[in-house]
Amino acid sequence: MTKPVCADAFLIRQRNLKNDYYSYTFGPFPGVEQCRPGNFVHLRLPSSDVYFRRAMSVTSVDKKNRELEILFRVVGRGTSILARYQKNDPIGILGPLGNSFSKPRKKEIAAIVAGGVGFPPLAYFAEHLVNGGFDPKRILFFYGGKSASDIIERGRIKKMGVRFHPMTDDGSFGRKGLITQGVEEFLRDGGNQRVRMYACGPEAMLRAVDDLGLKYRVPGELSLEAPMPCGIGVCLGCIVTLRKGGYARVCHEGPVFKIGEVLL
Amino acid sequence: MKPDLKVTIAGVDFANPIMTASGCSGYGEELSGLYPLSKLGALLTKTITPEPREGHPPPRTAETASGMLNAIGLANVGVDRFIEEKVPFLRKQKTKIIVNVGGRTVDEYVTLCDRLSGLDCVDMIELNLGCPNVDEGGMQFGSDPAMTERTVREAKQVCRCPLIAKLTPNVTDITATARAAEQGGADVLSLINSLVGMAVDVQTWRPVLTYNRGGLTGPAIKPVALAQVDAVCNAVNLPVIGIGGIADFRDVVEFLLVGASAVQIGTTLFVEPDAPLKIVNGLKQYMKEKNISQVSDLVGRVRKY
Ligand SMILES: Cc1cc2nc3c(=O)[nH]c(=O)nc-3n(C[C@H](O)[C@H](O)[C@H](O)COP(=O)(O)OP(=O)(O)OC[C@H]3O[C@@H](n4cnc5c(N)ncnc54)[C@H](O)[C@@H]3O)c2cc1C
Ligand SMILES: Cc1cc2nc3c(=O)[nH]c(=O)nc-3n(C[C@H](O)[C@H](O)[C@H](O)COP(=O)(O)O)c2cc1C
Ligand code: FES
Repeated sequence: MTKPVCADAFLIRQRNLKNDYYSYTFGPFPGVEQCRPGNFVHLRLPSSDVYFRRAMSVTSVDKKNRELEILFRVVGRGTSILARYQKNDPIGILGPLGNSFSKPRKKEIAAIVAGGVGFPPLAYFAEHLVNGGFDPKRILFFYGGKSASDIIERGRIKKMGVRFHPMTDDGSFGRKGLITQGVEEFLRDGGNQRVRMYACGPEAMLRAVDDLGLKYRVPGELSLEAPMPCGIGVCLGCIVTLRKGGYARVCHEGPVFKIGEVLL
Repeated sequence: MKPDLKVTIAGVDFANPIMTASGCSGYGEELSGLYPLSKLGALLTKTITPEPREGHPPPRTAETASGMLNAIGLANVGVDRFIEEKVPFLRKQKTKIIVNVGGRTVDEYVTLCDRLSGLDCVDMIELNLGCPNVDEGGMQFGSDPAMTERTVREAKQVCRCPLIAKLTPNVTDITATARAAEQGGADVLSLINSLVGMAVDVQTWRPVLTYNRGGLTGPAIKPVALAQVDAVCNAVNLPVIGIGGIADFRDVVEFLLVGASAVQIGTTLFVEPDAPLKIVNGLKQYMKEKNISQVSDLVGRVRKY
């Protein structure tokens, strides 16, 4: 279990990735030391327009300089405020929070399934695996979006040397179709390779990946989202329903859950 | 001069007047990962009920202007697991522990007080007499003065530590339930619990919370809470713990000035879990500036028109 830190940091670098996507790097933040792929940070936005913090997945860390990067897309009030941030503006960070992805076994193929803004934690995970010596050719990076502009950070994915499978709804980049169709073809035609899936993205996509996992008996993990008042497990607001009955806190028992564990 | 933040309420000494509010600090485990709980005046537990409760289905929280709505529905581990799993941790904490309890019947309140008030680590019991988020018990008890008095009286008979009655603001006249709790023998009053509220999604035309309604909390309710604390402090001769929307040391000073002996911090812990530390520091600084040596010297000192 990680021990979160609550501290102020500054916006050190910002990149506008077009189509309302941004990459922000914050530092110095002492919690960086403990960050693992799958963890998130809870950001305090100094504005009377939003009351809760906003959760953002960690997408890379620089332990030496105690910096962490997030990627976000402007969709509502909180992210609009964030998009107006200027270099050196202070921000309250609480984290790292939540659990993390587990490593694939040696002989397994890691099938990463990213949909839209589900990309950030999976980019961190894939980079972490590659840097840790996991053969990039054993990593399949499925990445789906509405159109070409939703597939961000392509250079970064290529640099990892993973097998990149982009897909868009309108066919403007990669193959045309839903990402889960691509994943199903792979599971169906992939022979008897041992596969483990890792998915993050819109609810409908996660539900489809969960179904595929159960149908093809492929284990894996899903990173979920829920509105999070506290992020540290005390408010009991961010719950999901478990298949075995009862609830789990996305911020504390999650955000990463096993395929088949949660009623989606 | 070193400002003295110690307060004594119903014979119990607290390191400072800053407590967490029930339901906003779990059973203490998570917060203890951020700072030692000894920094708190007291830790309040989530409401404990006789049986475990899962609470209402999601979504059960929503953001509002300067606050939030919740309809958690008293999700808690139940008294057996609380004693087995949570008390060993609480016993090791160097802070005062106040256990909040809730029942559907007077007997349930009595049983809970009986089982919990004798535990060595329990310094006080707080009766939740006003949760808006359950269909039975809770609010009915808290909105009827006669039921309030009876519940407090019977609980008090078995309670081996000081007893707090936590009042609901969802009544016409909170001084009536406050007096009833005093009559019943409460040692301390705490207020306010959350205000009944609602939000509707204009796209789907459905209430935002599956319970349809919820409890409004956070800075949005502070003026209401302050007025009710003021009214109750004038109506009873018991120590009062002020709750509602407290976010910084200035808010605490306001509650002390109208007569609260201590305060609880709820929703603010969600957005600023280390708020109690900042508030304690702010309070010390304020006392230095105002040349006040004892925090209790602020209590009830409002200069009304
Ligand atoms: C563990 C976790 C990790 C997260 N990681 C990231 C991340 O890495 N990058 C990122 O951009 N976001 C991430 N999010 C989502 C983020 O916390 C916010 O919920 C989201 O950015 C919307 O915030 P907002 O304040 O802009 O929108 P709000 O003002 O809260 O909502 C405005 C409208 O947008 C809708 N909306 C809310 N969320 C989304 C969404 N994700 N997509 C489309 N519409 C939405 C709401 O229903 C509402 O109608 C994560 C959430 C969790 C729980
Ligand atoms: C998510 C949440 C859960 C709560 N659960 C409880 C509870 O179990 N028992 C209780 O007596 N009060 C409960 N409360 C009410 C608080 O203890 C407090 O009275 C109220 O939130 C007002 O204070 P605040 O504005 O500082 O949050 C809860 C409040 C919130 C926001
Ligand atoms: S956000 Fe509060 S428990 Fe998860």
